[in-house]
Amino acid sequence: MSISMQKKAFAMVLSLGLVAGCSSTGETVQDDGYGTDVSAVDQAGGSTVYGGADDGGVSSSGLTEAEREEARMAAERAAEAAKRSVTTFYFDFDTSEIKPAAREVLIAHARYLAANPGQQVRLEGHADERGTKEYNLALGERRANAVQRFLIVNGATRGQLETVSYGEEKPEVMGSSESSWAQNRRVELIFK
Amino acid sequence: MARKCGLVLMLMWAAALPVQAELLIRITEGVESAIPLAVVPFKEAGNLPAGDKLSEIVRTDLTLSGEFSALAPEKMLSLPSRGDEVFFRDWRLLGQRYVLVGEVRQLGDRASVRFELFDVNSEERILGETAGAPLNNLRSLAHHISDKVYEAITGVPGVFSTRLAYVTLESVSGRPLYKLQISDVDGQRSRVRLESDEPILSPAWSPDGRQLAYVSFETGRPAVYVHELASGQRSRIASFPGLNSAPAWSPDGRSLLLTLSKDGNAEIYKMDVASRSLTRLTEHWSIDTEGSWTADGEGLFFTSDRSGGPQIYYKESERADPRRITFGSRYNARPRPSADGKFVYYVHQRDGAFHIARTNLETEDETVLTRTQLDESPSVSPNGRMLIYATKQGGQSVLTVISSDGGASYTLPASEGDVREPAWSPIIR
Amino acid sequence: MKGHERDFTSTGQPPWKSPIAFSVLLHGALILVALVGWHWSTPTDDIAPRSIAATLVVQQPRAPQPQAQPRPDPEQVRRQQERQRRETEQREAEQRAAEQRAAEQAERRRQEQQRREREQQQAAAEQERRRQAAAEEAARRKAAAEAEAQARRQAEDERRRQQEAARAAEERRRQAEERARQERVERERQEVEARRQEQERRLREQQLEALAEQANREQAEAQQRQAQAAAAARAHEQQMLSDRDRYHLLIKDRLNQAWYRPPSATEGMVARLRITLLPTGELSSVQLIKSSGNTAFDNSALSAVRSISRYPLPDDRDTFERYFRQFTIEFTPLELR
Repeated sequence: MSISMQKKAFAMVLSLGLVAGCSSTGETVQDDGYGTDVSAVDQAGGSTVYGGADDGGVSSSGLTEAEREEARMAAERAAEAAKRSVTTFYFDFDTSEIKPAAREVLIAHARYLAANPGQQVRLEGHADERGTKEYNLALGERRANAVQRFLIVNGATRGQLETVSYGEEKPEVMGSSESSWAQNRRVELIFK
Repeated sequence: MARKCGLVLMLMWAAALPVQAELLIRITEGVESAIPLAVVPFKEAGNLPAGDKLSEIVRTDLTLSGEFSALAPEKMLSLPSRGDEVFFRDWRLLGQRYVLVGEVRQLGDRASVRFELFDVNSEERILGETAGAPLNNLRSLAHHISDKVYEAITGVPGVFSTRLAYVTLESVSGRPLYKLQISDVDGQRSRVRLESDEPILSPAWSPDGRQLAYVSFETGRPAVYVHELASGQRSRIASFPGLNSAPAWSPDGRSLLLTLSKDGNAEIYKMDVASRSLTRLTEHWSIDTEGSWTADGEGLFFTSDRSGGPQIYYKESERADPRRITFGSRYNARPRPSADGKFVYYVHQRDGAFHIARTNLETEDETVLTRTQLDESPSVSPNGRMLIYATKQGGQSVLTVISSDGGASYTLPASEGDVREPAWSPIIR
Repeated sequence: MKGHERDFTSTGQPPWKSPIAFSVLLHGALILVALVGWHWSTPTDDIAPRSIAATLVVQQPRAPQPQAQPRPDPEQVRRQQERQRRETEQREAEQRAAEQRAAEQAERRRQEQQRREREQQQAAAEQERRRQAAAEEAARRKAAAEAEAQARRQAEDERRRQQEAARAAEERRRQAEERARQERVERERQEVEARRQEQERRLREQQLEALAEQANREQAEAQQRQAQAAAAARAHEQQMLSDRDRYHLLIKDRLNQAWYRPPSATEGMVARLRITLLPTGELSSVQLIKSSGNTAFDNSALSAVRSISRYPLPDDRDTFERYFRQFTIEFTPLELR
């Protein structure tokens, strides 16, 4: 898969995510009610995860062909700029599988780390509040480990990466709704 | 004379008749509902603290157990304090099965209590005792009475004198504050043992009740500590790379089960407390965690997601192959076996909600015990009759006690912030 | 009367001292003397009454005594004696002849007399004998009577003594009763307050009892209805349930509801009790004939059996006697979760 294709796909998903995000805030979603992509979209729903970098997309509803092209270009530019500003990656319930949507960003981070061997990153794995605390600790660790492996595969070295799991102890968002849980099932990259 | 003999014989024959045809009625069910019991306010002599009324604490204890329904004092026809003052007929009319009466006296800086428990139907005294405690420790005295009454009636030791360990989380000027606390089982008399602005997890009582093992993130990474309660001294026994979590004592108190990921992913190890030497007990690429010994220290329950999601597994011995126990749903975790080895309790997901469930290990029947939605951290009382777990109530984490068959429940008085990670102490003699 | 009394007391004299009384007495005396004197003079001569009368009037103005005797004149006496002597001599002569005749006559009379006397003696002896016999009889009778009287007296004494004792006992009893009564009164007074409280308590008890009985009744009725409905349903498949089976089930239901199975109960535990009922359905006795080995379990079974105030029983007395007068109940838990 060429880089430009990847970019296009990333931008598409991103746009869809923003649309879905605007309309689905607070909606309860069953774990297995949607396909992986849609789930990933929901991960971003109502959150600030992509905020700041995605202002151009906010008004992108009712798209014409020309506008879509423009938006695509804008998103591509924004994505290029924003890749490394995205440091949080989300997961489905009880999984440690990196979503396709996150790969592009993680690859950008891996490249950056490869280019900057002195850069240390702490990978903090988290889980939502559901399930048991100890299992969630292990699950958070497994998520962090998944990201760590992905970064290593894509150019980072093990010595740059430290993992720690907090399980469900440090939620990003309080609350017991699917949207809160979705934002809490995550791995955060902390650059030192 | 001959006629008399004849009559006697006839009577004997008549008496023998019903025996020949004697009816046998077999009662196999009985009721599970709470036993009606009256705790009569104790008579008081001397200068006793106004706050802690022994009989009130006893009444609360027994009611909270879910196995007794205590009669409200205003419904009592009389307030006896001695056996010879008890009119059994009155208590029968009130539908009571047992009556507890007593008298408490202040003697210097101590209190002495004499209490008697009567079976209303047999009109027999089934318990009579005198006990004492310092005036500032009347709650312990009351819990002692509750334990005695409970055991006299149910045949099972009471657990009202045991303690709870748990973790609270408050927000102090925008920063989280975690506290490891210990309280009575009714939530009273809590004391903070450790404070940290990083998470504290998984408190576990040593079998003698003198030590707590727990996970603390105070260094920024998880580590397992053993905390001697009397002295406050503690030692960090496990701070390997990766996970250091899920401590669980062996019944003999000599070793701890730990979940470590130093070898790549979460596995269960046994650490000898004295030598700190480790024995690895699981070996699988999946998550293995939440180990817990059976009461005899032979077998081992744990959680593994080797089947694709977390499920309960059992190893008959350290070296035996694990056997999967739970099949009922996608998510079953954190097993806690009962002391009699008949049941295993765990967190169970069903229809999107998380409950506490138990499986009868003989019949493999699974019963969901709770109706709340986000339940976790089940901890069984040492007598196997009650279970405490954490759940959410109005967005806040609280602790709830239920009877171990899922009957009555009560929620411990809420403190500010979240309360989580309850651990029921052993019976401390 | 009053006036008479006054008269009497004013004179201060007895009636005979009054002049009227005196003259009456005097005349009485004169008449008496005249009569007596006439009597005396009649056999002798006529002179005597004159002198006697004169003498009497002068010398004895106040002689009321009727026995007062006039003393004869000595000359008169001497003449009289002379006359008497002559008359005597004459009479003696005649008398001697007469005596001769008389002697003979006397001798005859004497003999006759002796004969009569002998006869009389014999008669007397006979009479004496009879008298003695009578006397003896009388003595015996008297002795008997005396003995009887003695016995009667003793009996009487005894009776009196007993009466006396009875009276004393009665008196003591009465006093004791009085004391008891006073004590009772005292006690009652002391107990008034307690009794009032007791009554209040009873009242509340009765109210509760009534409620409990009603509840029992309703429960029993409901159960009976259920059992009857169940029996009707089964009637098609098998014969009507007998009284025995029906009440067996009713009792079983009641006990199942009354038994608070202790948590320490384990499957296979058995506590066996023998119970004895009264025809009213009340429990007469219960006996643990096989212990489960678990005290709490045994107690729970005993408590369940004792908690049923009235066992449902068939109306038929024979069925009761045969099956429900005494039977065995086994408490043994099954299907523990």
